[in-house]
Amino acid sequence: MASDSTRKGSSLRRLAITPVRVAGAGLLAVAFAMIVSAAVAVIDGGGAAAGLTAAALITASVGCALFFGSQVSSSTDSALAFASVAWSWLAVSLAGALPFLLTGVVSWAHFDDAIFESVSGFTCTGSTILSDFDSVPQGLLFYRSMTQWLGGMGLVVLAVAVLPALGIGGLDLIASEAPGPTADRLSLRVRDTARRLWLLYGAVTCIVAMLLFLVGMSVFDAVTHAFTTIATGGYSPRAESIAHFDSVAIELVIIAGMLYAGANFSVHWHALSQGIGAYRRVSEIRWYLTLIAGAFGLLLWVNNGELELFRNLRESLFYAVSLGSNTGFGSSNYVLWMPAAHLTLLVLMLVGGMSGSTAGGMKVLRLQVIFRYSFRELMRARHPNAVIPIRLGRTTIEEQIASKVVGFVLLYLGLIVAGGVVLSGLGVDPVTAFSGSVSALGNVGPALGEAGPTSNFLVFPRAGRLVLMAMMALGRLELFPAMLMLVASLRGLDRMHRQREGTKSP
Amino acid sequence: MTPKPPKRATLPGYAQRLTGWILSRSALLLRQLSKGRLESAIGVTVGAVWVLIAPLFFVCGVIDWLDGGPDAVALLISGLVIQLVGFFILRVSKFPSTLPVARLFTAFVGGALAALIAATIAHFATGVAPTIDVALVEASATVTGTNATTIEPETVSLGMMLFRSLGQWLAAAAVIVVLVRILPHLGVGGLDADGGVATRSARRLAPRSSSTMVRLLTLYMGLTILLAIAYFSAGMPFVDSVIHSLTTISSGGFSSHSGSIGAFDSPAIEWVAIVGMITAGTSLPLMFRALRRGDLHRFVRSIEFRTYIGLIITAVVAVLAWSDKWPTADNLRETFFWVTSAISTTGYVAGNLSLASYGSEALLLVLMVIGGMSASVAGGFKVMRFMVLGRYIGRELRRSIHPSAVEKIHLGKSSIGEVALARIIGELFLATMVILAMVLLFTADGLNFEAAFSFAISALSNVGFAFGLGGPNEHLQALGAVGHLSGALLMLIGRVSVTPILVSLGGIGEPLQREVRRWRLTRHEKAVR
Repeated sequence: MASDSTRKGSSLRRLAITPVRVAGAGLLAVAFAMIVSAAVAVIDGGGAAAGLTAAALITASVGCALFFGSQVSSSTDSALAFASVAWSWLAVSLAGALPFLLTGVVSWAHFDDAIFESVSGFTCTGSTILSDFDSVPQGLLFYRSMTQWLGGMGLVVLAVAVLPALGIGGLDLIASEAPGPTADRLSLRVRDTARRLWLLYGAVTCIVAMLLFLVGMSVFDAVTHAFTTIATGGYSPRAESIAHFDSVAIELVIIAGMLYAGANFSVHWHALSQGIGAYRRVSEIRWYLTLIAGAFGLLLWVNNGELELFRNLRESLFYAVSLGSNTGFGSSNYVLWMPAAHLTLLVLMLVGGMSGSTAGGMKVLRLQVIFRYSFRELMRARHPNAVIPIRLGRTTIEEQIASKVVGFVLLYLGLIVAGGVVLSGLGVDPVTAFSGSVSALGNVGPALGEAGPTSNFLVFPRAGRLVLMAMMALGRLELFPAMLMLVASLRGLDRMHRQREGTKSP
Repeated sequence: MTPKPPKRATLPGYAQRLTGWILSRSALLLRQLSKGRLESAIGVTVGAVWVLIAPLFFVCGVIDWLDGGPDAVALLISGLVIQLVGFFILRVSKFPSTLPVARLFTAFVGGALAALIAATIAHFATGVAPTIDVALVEASATVTGTNATTIEPETVSLGMMLFRSLGQWLAAAAVIVVLVRILPHLGVGGLDADGGVATRSARRLAPRSSSTMVRLLTLYMGLTILLAIAYFSAGMPFVDSVIHSLTTISSGGFSSHSGSIGAFDSPAIEWVAIVGMITAGTSLPLMFRALRRGDLHRFVRSIEFRTYIGLIITAVVAVLAWSDKWPTADNLRETFFWVTSAISTTGYVAGNLSLASYGSEALLLVLMVIGGMSASVAGGFKVMRFMVLGRYIGRELRRSIHPSAVEKIHLGKSSIGEVALARIIGELFLATMVILAMVLLFTADGLNFEAAFSFAISALSNVGFAFGLGGPNEHLQALGAVGHLSGALLMLIGRVSVTPILVSLGGIGEPLQREVRRWRLTRHEKAVR
């Protein structure tokens, strides 16, 4: 590795900035997605092939330049890891907008809409600005779903599988994708962990695709829906989403897929290798399932007067799982439901899925910590000198980590309120504004009010969509990396400048 | 000697322990009664509250009689009954020699409930409220200083009108007493309970508790009188001036007119109300120290005060900007009015917010949640606590880069202990859970989502007005019995704060927890065998 850099370094001086390298890797992955979609477009004959290929070429060239023109910094610390994640997501989102523009589906005058769709894809949110699905070429719809699939496991994880060979501290990057108590390591080497997660992810996607095909979807539909189910994204090439198919079997398969994808993937791996008892050992799974089951029950009860029993069961279960995993597939218009149901849906959107899954939201793990933290304070009020640890199941959480989680939740709630206020100020009615805020930060997709599952996000004014975009990115990056992005980058630049100064003087 | 085997969770075991408990408690009670008094903190509190509240009944009853109103007899009789019962309870109770923290919490909550019950009796006995649940929610609004009501103020007699206004005023005075005397022991958030925070002036006042209490109450009374004079000079009739002064300084919000302050249609009166509301949300110790030394610079030095005023000004600017209207004097006054009414949690209403935009609605709700300054009589979560939380978030952000840094949180010149931080955070999360539960109840009882949510926030912060329905004050009327009871509970929780109530409930929960643990242990044993 050292010889590599000296060989190349003699003629081209490479920028020793990790974020650039990671960004480059991400762009290369996106270019790959574009090429595949172009191939699909050619097979399907929809006319998007040219645009997709052009976008692929542009992205690939920029990606190569960034990737091969840089190397990892000599020092890696958390700040740099955070910055890498944030900047690569930014680069990927911008590049990802190109297909929409180059195929003509989104006009250049509305380039921010293309970026919105791209961000909504890579962050696995699923909110859309597209209105006329019939005029969108199949290749582009395929690309859209694939962006979610890639975003699901984090382009960074892909980069981690490749970059460790080049000597980067991979675990920092995975950890930076999710601060706080998170997915365990599956093996001692981060690279192997990343590869195993991707293997599981890919395998489950294939299984879901096959099942969907078996219950009646076309190949195209099966693959695209499998992509966005396992990524808990929620994009569908159909305007009415899952409601288009009106099939209980399809809904059940998707429910199973969403439920699986909303759970911790490393626990899934443990269950596959060590037996199903692995699920019982994790307390978060119990909370996750209880939350969804409870929401299901509550929805059933609230909708009892409105819908007839079978329909009620079907729709309540679908939405309990769809919003409980923050996927965002739509089966019926829940905006017509009672307000009490809306509250349940909102809480589901807020909490999200399990940590270490592709789901968004605050994560069930943090909810657990919050509950235990709050009730510990109640206990302490009665017994001021008691020493009460915060325990999840059988593992104890150390105070530092608990503080971090609490800080995260406070920031999360604060951002939702701030986002809601800003959106209201831009003219959106408060219910739509605040639910849109929750939906964006939690990467759900649909919201309440005017932005329900049957509408698109053009309901929000242009500036509002910008705010929502930012929130989607913040939510996906789990807040801290994005917020520290600028700080770390500034510090990195400063350090690099000082290094150069240092090497200049004798 | 062999250790005793653990107690098993069997049915005879349960029955035995329950009976044993009943017998031992009864024996204790009887023994104490025979000696003359029961040791009961809650008894002392309840009795004291009732004895002290009865004069309010008498005063209002006499005034109503002089005014020729219909409620005189009802007030006097119920007042007498409460006085006698309170006296009796007080006579047979005495303050226990040892007082664990949990008992203090229960006594505190008991006192609040006692006041609530007394007010409920007043409302029900005089017929102002037709049913018990309405009486309860009206009483709750009186005791917690919330301007949420189903009653048309013009239909109420002078006696009851005075009862409600004086009730809000006295309730706020009680808050001052509690702040100084009781909360420091509970560690929920008193003058200097937060591990040495609040302002330096407050800490300086705290050691000599009784004189602190007297001083603050005197200030409180003085401000009320001043405001009454101000209202009168601005053109309000005498009785109205008194009533509004009582409900402004206490940040309660009741009015003698159904249009609230707006009914007077007078800019001067509205400005007086604005100043009064700002004062209600200001920290009393701060005001005391500033006025005593004539040192107005103290206000500027207080970081919390600067934030409080800053919030008001920012909100006014934002609301005006969002309303797409030019800032005329009228618009400015109207905006100031609504903003201060929300942040001081008073709840006065001035017409239908003509500058209403979605943004202003959201912003007003946020202001309601923030509330007034700590150590003021206003409700809400308090400005200082949000400032602390903001710094906490900043610290955690910084810690994610420097994990081993040990950083204390500073507010102005004082630092905040970890224990106090944990309490504030716990309180916030618990309040959020309570709000979500209540919104569920409100929506189940018929309110739409916006109305339910805004009313829940308004009730918890003890403001009163909300959104989502035709007018700002129609929510209680739109709710049924379940909604009324939930609303009453929510207002109480907002005033008394979540922790004491849940801790008192925990007093019931703890024996239950022990039984559950015992059952689990037994089951484990059976499995092992």
